[in-house]
Amino acid sequence: MNNLQSSIINHQYPTVFKITNDPIDLDALLASITLSSTGAACVFTGMVRGVTKRGDAHETVYLEYEAYIPMAEAKMKQVADEIREKWNSVEGIAIVQRIGRLDPMTPTILIACTAAHRDTGVFEAARYGIDRLKEIVPVWKKEVGPNGEEWVEGEYLPNEKDKA
Amino acid sequence: MTLTILFFATLRDKAKTKSTQLTLDDGITVADLKKELAIRFPEIASSLPTTIVSRNKEFAESDEVLKDGDEVAVFPPVSGGD
Repeated sequence: MNNLQSSIINHQYPTVFKITNDPIDLDALLASITLSSTGAACVFTGMVRGVTKRGDAHETVYLEYEAYIPMAEAKMKQVADEIREKWNSVEGIAIVQRIGRLDPMTPTILIACTAAHRDTGVFEAARYGIDRLKEIVPVWKKEVGPNGEEWVEGEYLPNEKDKA
Repeated sequence: MTLTILFFATLRDKAKTKSTQLTLDDGITVADLKKELAIRFPEIASSLPTTIVSRNKEFAESDEVLKDGDEVAVFPPVSGGD
């Protein structure tokens, strides 16, 4: 199909993107992007790690997340748009980041993509979503441990190509 | 011209403020603004080389020209997700 037809169809598909202080309701979010055509849903959720073994091993008492909310939501929408450009079989997309004080074993982020079938990129799309969010969405986390607190700095410096 | 500057994460802790209004010459660039911020908030100076700047909620390059009324945010590389 031509580009115009595919972009019209894409705008009919549910796209949820938000920053929230509330607990992430995986079931509700998945339901909101599930259509009668959906046969496959890939859901990634990240949670606060209480014990980190990789690298600088440490314990986490809690994380404090902060966001530049209006820009974060705009960039989450951009991530969703990028997913659709790369995998036009993806139907629903949900990207939700929770902020505030979050304890270990609490979900902090949900990236979910739905599609008719599992073999046209829905797994890759969800993977791309989380990796991309960690590059361009203005959210930061502060690690609070038994011995003090420290902001976690990312490594990615955005450039021209990261603009919407 | 007047700009609203927003500080996030480590920048906010070091600058000891979430936001400030600055009145500056017309036509300055993002790079000029960083120099100005280093003077007014010396505690953030050492972070500025890796500080990301946004202008009206979009990433801004060093040579981007700022305009009256712009909302500029300064922040470290992001660390969202899990």
